[in-house]
Amino acid sequence: MKSVIEEVELLAPGHRMCAGCGLAISTRLALNVAGINTIVVLPTGCLEVTTTQYPETSWRVPFIHVAFENAAAVASGIDVALEMMGRKGINVLAIGGDGGTFDIGFQALSGMFERGHRVTYICHDNEAYMNTGIQRSSATPYAAWTTTSPYGRYSIGKKKRKKPIGIIAVAHDIPYVATATIAYYEDYQRKVKKALSMDGPAFIHVLVPCPTGWRFPPDKTVEISRLAVETGVFVLWEVEGGRMENLKVTVKPKKRKPVEEYLMPQRRFSHLFKPERRQDVIDKIQRTIDEKCERYGL
Amino acid sequence: MKKEEYKLKKITIGAIISEPGSSIKYKTGSWRSYKPILTEFTPPCTRECPARIKVREYISLIKEKHFEEAYKLLKDKIPFPVTIGRVCHHPCEKKCYRGQFDEPIAINILKRFIADYALKNKKKPSKVEITKKEKIAIIGSGPAGLSAAYKLVKMGYSVTVFEALPVAGGIPRFGIPDYRLPKNVLETEIDDIKSLGVEIKLNTSITDIKHLRKQYEAVFIAVGVQKSRKLNVPGEELDGVICGLEFLKSLNLEKKVSLGKKVIVIGGGNVATDVARSALRLGAETFIVYRRSRKEMPAIKEGVEEAEREGVQIKYLASPKKILGTNKVSGIECVRMKLGEPDESGRKRPIPIEGSEFVIEADTIILAIGEYPDFSFLKGSVKTEKQRIVVDPKSLATDQPGVFAGGDVVTGPATVIEAIAQGTKAAVCIDRYLRGEPMKYGEEALPLIELEKMNLSMVETKSRIKSHSLPVKERMGNFKEVNLGFTEEEALEEAERCLSCGSCKLCKLCSIYCPDNAAKMGETEAEINLDYCKGCGICENECPCGVIIMELEVK
Repeated sequence: MKSVIEEVELLAPGHRMCAGCGLAISTRLALNVAGINTIVVLPTGCLEVTTTQYPETSWRVPFIHVAFENAAAVASGIDVALEMMGRKGINVLAIGGDGGTFDIGFQALSGMFERGHRVTYICHDNEAYMNTGIQRSSATPYAAWTTTSPYGRYSIGKKKRKKPIGIIAVAHDIPYVATATIAYYEDYQRKVKKALSMDGPAFIHVLVPCPTGWRFPPDKTVEISRLAVETGVFVLWEVEGGRMENLKVTVKPKKRKPVEEYLMPQRRFSHLFKPERRQDVIDKIQRTIDEKCERYGL
Repeated sequence: MKKEEYKLKKITIGAIISEPGSSIKYKTGSWRSYKPILTEFTPPCTRECPARIKVREYISLIKEKHFEEAYKLLKDKIPFPVTIGRVCHHPCEKKCYRGQFDEPIAINILKRFIADYALKNKKKPSKVEITKKEKIAIIGSGPAGLSAAYKLVKMGYSVTVFEALPVAGGIPRFGIPDYRLPKNVLETEIDDIKSLGVEIKLNTSITDIKHLRKQYEAVFIAVGVQKSRKLNVPGEELDGVICGLEFLKSLNLEKKVSLGKKVIVIGGGNVATDVARSALRLGAETFIVYRRSRKEMPAIKEGVEEAEREGVQIKYLASPKKILGTNKVSGIECVRMKLGEPDESGRKRPIPIEGSEFVIEADTIILAIGEYPDFSFLKGSVKTEKQRIVVDPKSLATDQPGVFAGGDVVTGPATVIEAIAQGTKAAVCIDRYLRGEPMKYGEEALPLIELEKMNLSMVETKSRIKSHSLPVKERMGNFKEVNLGFTEEEALEEAERCLSCGSCKLCKLCSIYCPDNAAKMGETEAEINLDYCKGCGICENECPCGVIIMELEVK
């Protein structure tokens, strides 16, 4: 078997991401495919603060840090600039967190989709504002604990459901939209490759478990990511040409596991199991997943 | 991408110098409280093999197409890889962890593949120089005797093997039919042992152990079993009732055997299936009568399956009550059985059902209900008990100093691989005895890998590759080999299925899933860069081979 020891990693070690961070795995996987001829646009978020501690950087590709809300706008600008300069074969990769994508940067993202820039936007979804201390975002799932969606006598955690960002991206009629997660790295890398080959905007929604914010031991990151797919919590699909009828599920779990197996190891859901078991809430989550999976033909 | 393609460029902004990837200065390894350690474990296949053959290692060599090295690894451990690749009852496959995932690896057929490969391209081994002054006598040239001879001659001893029959090889030579083990295969391997310098004296029965012991510094008794058990039912003395081993011996030593049209074989072991399948090839309609059900049958599963496919009719839960006939056998009266509580062998005890007697006609009845050794030659010189020679299980030493015993004489009728294991063990202990060291045999084994430690989430199910076999209609009237093994492509495909339990297979998963680029593939196993490893433990949790252990690091 070929040794990979000589290969240069485009995200250097020495970054300050937590032990077992899913974000680091995802970024490595994406950069391995994108390669050296890539410009990375990075809004504020975990990835930005942990890889660019002054005066050091973990990036071995050109990158630009922008404000929370305008990664997509800056990436659009880079795309236009490259075009004006006649530079070809350079990938523009915007990597935003769920806060910077679902909430704060959404307007810029929507604009980028509408203008049709040749940019691949990867959204690292760890389902809350982890960098600032685990505040809920519109990506936080129903019933999850965060510091701003606490549980208690009158609360079961977040009351609202998660925003279906992938479907919203498809509605923009862009060439390529996909979902991915780190456990299924081959599927993920294939999607990044495909996204980069598109002549126009591509969007990949990546679920990255966060041991710190989701409250699980750091060795379980990949396992939780896999469980998300196996339970149907997160469906891996891709849509080409902006048409929902082209939706293709890329990883089908052999036998779908009950959602409990996904919820149980994460302490952000621990209030569903103790002090007393909230079967009503678990059932509700399970029902939502069953309905969703039926739509996807799982 | 290789290093040379990538040039680091310094970017100067005012007084600040920022190099791409400069965070490598910051050693995040200092955050760690647990440290990943690569460990090696014993896989279940090796643990289960009586001869402790390094299965995982030779399969890994097959994957890399290093067939020659794989053969060397096998031949180093046992003298009969080609034979064993055909006749082994492969307990390894029963315990193969892949079996709990989808289907076990075809270990035996892979072993046979490399052995056959080597057979085609092999050279005769050269003679080993005798460096030790002691001479060793081995009685019996079966797998136990010859394995001991093989090991001892390689240690530099002068070894003489005494064989009562006109051919060497023991049961594999005269007790296993050609369709399972072609004799030229066995002979090549015996020739190898001879080329190393072992002298085999044929047609030489030993009658006086004490006298032999005076001429040789050590004696190893490995005469095996010769006599077949009796049924103890009326009519057993009739003409046409023969013993299984005797029948196979006549067949293999090329004497004429006439069986008549209808043959009944009694018993459920390997001798029974071998006899029945041979009788079928000689043109007889053949039945096996066995008193328990198929599940309890001690014969190798493949042997039973093939027998049924070829047309042997097996009567389960039936026990002979009386052999019928006046001078010559005309049939057998059996009684139906039912299974009761388990007996001391752990199998369910068969109980006769009163009034359920039935008769099967037969021209020949062959008894294959067990064998036992003939100890008349010992003349009480070595202690025996219940038809076995009494030995110290750790060293195989008998009550007489310098006299060792092993194989079927010690274990009772067992398999070829068990005999090989006993021979190897005896060789080690004889060597220790002659050097005046404490006699004990024990390999330092690594702990067994637990299946729970291996994360098989990313392994895709894939069925075991079926090996080729001779079509049933081409098997009758001849003794052509039935199992034809794998082609090279099939062997490579099957070897790829091996999970490599307890040893790194360079699958890269740890390196793919490491958030800190700390795990990389080395030459033979993964290497972890502790400068950056934060000790998250993802590699331990995800490793499909179970070789990474997180150890508390005290700082």
